[in-house]
Amino acid sequence: MNTARLSALALCASLVLPAAAWAVATVGQPAPDFTAADTTGKRHSLADYKGKYVVLEWVNPGCPFVRKHYSSNNMQATQREAVDSGAVWLAVNSTSPRSGDYLPPSDMGKWMQGQQAAASATLMDADGKVGMAYGAKTTPHLYIINPQGTLIYAGAIDSKPSGRVEDIASATNYVKAGLKEAQADKPLSHANTRAYGCSVKY
Amino acid sequence: MLLLAAAAQAASTVETPNVRATLLAYAPEGVAAGQPVWLGLQLRHRPHWHTYWKNPGDSGLPTTFEWTLPDGVTAGGIEWPAPRPLPFGPLVNYGYEGTVLLPVPLDLSDAARGRDLRVRLRADWLVCRETCIPESGDFEIVLPAGRVLAANRAAFETARAARPAVLSDVRAAAQVRGDTLEVEVAGLPVRLHGATLRLLPETEGLIDHARPVPQSWQAGRWQGRVPLSSQRSASPERLAMVLLAGADSFRVDAPVAGWRAAMDAAVPAEPAPAALAGFAAALALALAGGVLLNLMPCVFPILSLKVLDFARHADARRTRVLGGLAYTVGVLLSFLALAGALIALRAGGEQLGWGFQLQEPAFVAALALLFTLIGLNLAGVFEVRGLLPGSVAGWRLHHPAADAFLTGVLAVVVASPCTAPFMGAALGFAFTLPAAQTLLIFAALGLGLALPYLLASLVPAVARLLPKPGPWMARLRTLLAFPMFATVVWLLWVLGVQVGVAGVVGLLGVLLAVAFAVWAWALPGRSRIGLGVPALALAAAAGVWAAPALRPAGDVPPAVEAGWMPWTPEREASLRASGQPVFVDFTAAWCITCQVNKRTTLTDPAVLADFERAGVALLRADWTARDPAITAALAQLGRSGVPVYVLYPGGARAPLVLNELLSPGAIRTALDPLKRKETL
Repeated sequence: MNTARLSALALCASLVLPAAAWAVATVGQPAPDFTAADTTGKRHSLADYKGKYVVLEWVNPGCPFVRKHYSSNNMQATQREAVDSGAVWLAVNSTSPRSGDYLPPSDMGKWMQGQQAAASATLMDADGKVGMAYGAKTTPHLYIINPQGTLIYAGAIDSKPSGRVEDIASATNYVKAGLKEAQADKPLSHANTRAYGCSVKY
Repeated sequence: MLLLAAAAQAASTVETPNVRATLLAYAPEGVAAGQPVWLGLQLRHRPHWHTYWKNPGDSGLPTTFEWTLPDGVTAGGIEWPAPRPLPFGPLVNYGYEGTVLLPVPLDLSDAARGRDLRVRLRADWLVCRETCIPESGDFEIVLPAGRVLAANRAAFETARAARPAVLSDVRAAAQVRGDTLEVEVAGLPVRLHGATLRLLPETEGLIDHARPVPQSWQAGRWQGRVPLSSQRSASPERLAMVLLAGADSFRVDAPVAGWRAAMDAAVPAEPAPAALAGFAAALALALAGGVLLNLMPCVFPILSLKVLDFARHADARRTRVLGGLAYTVGVLLSFLALAGALIALRAGGEQLGWGFQLQEPAFVAALALLFTLIGLNLAGVFEVRGLLPGSVAGWRLHHPAADAFLTGVLAVVVASPCTAPFMGAALGFAFTLPAAQTLLIFAALGLGLALPYLLASLVPAVARLLPKPGPWMARLRTLLAFPMFATVVWLLWVLGVQVGVAGVVGLLGVLLAVAFAVWAWALPGRSRIGLGVPALALAAAAGVWAAPALRPAGDVPPAVEAGWMPWTPEREASLRASGQPVFVDFTAAWCITCQVNKRTTLTDPAVLADFERAGVALLRADWTARDPAITAALAQLGRSGVPVYVLYPGGARAPLVLNELLSPGAIRTALDPLKRKETL
């Protein structure tokens, strides 16, 4: 009976803690592994890319902040620079099918194509598992994982949290800067920043 | 989406589909230097839409103002009304629905005297329901010199009333402990004592806003333990926060101590590797761990073989010494080979830890087969020289050291899955080093394991302790078959946990057929061919039949024992976030030390009662099959093998890694400081 009460207690705790899934991915610690299908149905695991830098980008085409960085070509340029340096770029869409922003995989793939995105793959995370494991809160929300599988950056695309395209030019792009520093074996000047954008539509 | 239209025609009202924004002025004593003059942006939201507070929470953006002011006029910051928490899925934002006024005080100096004041405002806000729309507006207003502007009194008075109260006798302080911010607030109104408060930090990026704050009242002081975000982007020296209690709100400002220590502690997750003074210390620990490994239950079957070996060669000093050396070499080389394989596989990205070979069902099956054969041999069912071609048997007879060498290999294969005291810390440290140093640590470990036998073989006095050779040796040999079969039972159980009962039955069939084959093959003369050939065919067929059942079963739901919950990183995180003490048992079916600890301690009703009294949540991380999450968690604890027992005492206290050999007393001692805390 005692043990039953204990587990009941723990069960309640896990029910009243909707944010239990946060607090998992931490900069300086091993990045949580995941497996998810991309827009073409091909499965990708983080473990597949051990030995390479991996950038995760949370994306939702219905979000004006995502469109700010795509319409300005800022996101694509960041993707291209990362991929050209040998990194793997995985865009992740954690939008729930219950949300009005949800796009089926083929439409999502077409949207990325239409944007001429340079992401290595676009992963569909409709159940939000990958997003929860990383504590992704906003679109965009970006993460960098080093070749050893350690999370080294979590946060915003850049230093100017706004919806204005004009701000991009004067902002520091944390992903470009972080990758450059990491690839030069330097510690990141900004390893945790506050991501800004729309809520991820879990 | 941006309201560019508004820019062309600056007005005091900007209307979008979701917001009607108006710039209002309030000067109850007249627009004059030294008098209170206020401007404020009033946002009327479409129903269910909202804009954000200065800390928007998990997402969103605060509304921002950019003023263009005439000479002699300066504007203060927004005097934010208390916001409302706005939950959205697993996220929480802070903001305003309905109508809100964001007031800003103006300061008029003498330079502004006697002139009409033309004021321009560019405001940016993010308005959201499900979707978010960044909007902005340009506003212009003229404040006529000396005029009393009181038309908007009600709106400004309402905004003033909605501001969080700042009480002069409230004192607050905050202390960072681990991943928690402990906040204490004294001097809040008596009517609030006992109430549940909601804490909203004004600093962004500090906490995950949906996580509950365990809290209590003590002697009129409110104490909250605020879990810090694992992706925290701010470490403020002072933290302003708003406390919400029903319709009441208070603004308090606390100095924050302890960031430095928290950051130092956050880098290596665990004290174990830090305790290692360096490489030399790790080598010494590995050597001691190796010696102690002989006392672990894992090594019992090998112990039996070595006893037999000693009895056989008690009289022949040279053979004994040679055997001791060969055994040592066998142990050392196997340790190095295993470590080398592990390093290579990990470099290739595999999430493996110490004992990984037994996570492979085929390897477990092969080992069971080997131990069955050794057992049958000891029991006298067959003689090795009867099976092998004459030349090999002869070679083996003349080189008894080869036997000792192979015993050494076997010792490592069987014993390595268990980690001994000291060894866990040394191994965990080893895998953070360059490969050459890692291998040296493993060599030290192997030397430690072999050392007792090596010394015993070198010291003649040990051999003299044994009785003279005689018929007792044959009996001892048969007797020692039983530990071998016991090992087979254990391996079958490991296999059962990994692949289920079909695999166990398949392997038992193979073992039976092989036992029959070696017996038949050992028969003299014709019967050897007559029975032996079909027996071999039978054994081969059994192997083919059983092979498919030996594949890993994939997601076998872990067997749950009463009181224990399967470990997941999320569950551990959420329990620890809630402040509850957590005990994690990192275990595997193939780890005999783990199983012994489970029998002697972790299933003991008295121990379980102690856990319950201390309010400890019990989690079991079963590493029998490969599990990258567990491998990663072990790595964070500075370990690479099981058993590992960790007690997270809750709150900010450092986790305690218990000894690999558990006892009820050790658990009780560990739980001692955990006097049941008051219920929060």
